[in-house]
Amino acid sequence: MQQEASSGYITRAPRSNGLADVLEILLDRGLVIDAFVRVSLVGIELLTVDLRVVVASVDTYLRFAEAVNRLDLRAVDDSKSVPDLFEKGEEEGAEKKSKGAIEGGMDAIKEKVGLGGRGDDEDQERERSRSGRRGNDRG
Amino acid sequence: MTQLYLYGMTRAGPLPAGLAERGIELVAADGRAAIVSSIESSPVTATRRNLLAHAEVVERLHERAIVLPARFGTVVADRDAALELLALPGVAALLDEHADRSELTLRGTYDESVLRAIAPAVAGLREGYRAAPTLEGGLALGEAVVEALAARRIRDTEEVLSALDPHVVGVRSGEPRGEYGAFNLSLLVTRDAVATIEDELELLARRLSPPLRFELVGPLPPYSFVELELGVPA
Repeated sequence: MQQEASSGYITRAPRSNGLADVLEILLDRGLVIDAFVRVSLVGIELLTVDLRVVVASVDTYLRFAEAVNRLDLRAVDDSKSVPDLFEKGEEEGAEKKSKGAIEGGMDAIKEKVGLGGRGDDEDQERERSRSGRRGNDRG
Repeated sequence: MTQLYLYGMTRAGPLPAGLAERGIELVAADGRAAIVSSIESSPVTATRRNLLAHAEVVERLHERAIVLPARFGTVVADRDAALELLALPGVAALLDEHADRSELTLRGTYDESVLRAIAPAVAGLREGYRAAPTLEGGLALGEAVVEALAARRIRDTEEVLSALDPHVVGVRSGEPRGEYGAFNLSLLVTRDAVATIEDELELLARRLSPPLRFELVGPLPPYSFVELELGVPA
């Protein structure tokens, strides 16, 4: 294809990639088989509560205020004509930011579900009762 | 007692290489098959390893034929129980209905250059904050930016959906990831529409990128489109 410029903005993956994808794409979805005695279904829906990132918070507002404040608007006033060099710096920043947000979310998930690398086989109940603890369960 | 973990249901056929060695089997009848492996105990816990294994099995099998993924954690008592499930009329109907279908996950995320596009709309608050960086001024500016971003998110999502609409069978909208997330869509498509959707994304990216980045995952089993609840008759 000849649209190389736009292709740079499309990431393609054939399969779900990593735990974040799996939690989002697969957990709580799929056929529910309600067959009483012969089938048991784990009550994992409990675990997906509270995983949402709260977007509109004071913290968010202040970070956006700082980010907008940092912009040098004299350089350009049309977002479509931003020079390449400038663009690169912005992209890196964005990547770091979203990575941080995801990791933050994943910490919360780990605490809830016990999905840390170490705690793989630990009992969910025990893991959940330890929520509140933070930081020492990063692999 | 040994039970069977149920990954999902599919058409009877050969297993992809490597799955049999890992204990995955097909329990087949009448051209349909339950995808299972033996487990020693249930319930199955939602560990990282278990979740990734479930995804890998259903997604690899879906490369060959339709898979109706079971909800993670589903366990059946034995082969007879698996056969009972296969015989349910709802299963055959869903396998037919979804025979040539897949799910695509499409995420949109802005890079930080979106702020440059938004800045003119918040110019007054921004100047005020620059002149006197108070907490109140910062909150007002930040809130205005978040609102402008939300408006842009809605506009861009509508543009994406209307461009893709002719090529998809169904859409589910999920929560976007993070502060710069624009949308998080599950698309139900026929397999032969995947290439068309990729082409449409190229066109959309020309109009919307930067600042919008797209992430397309799939073709996946129709995780979000198998909500039929199957009940085994008493």
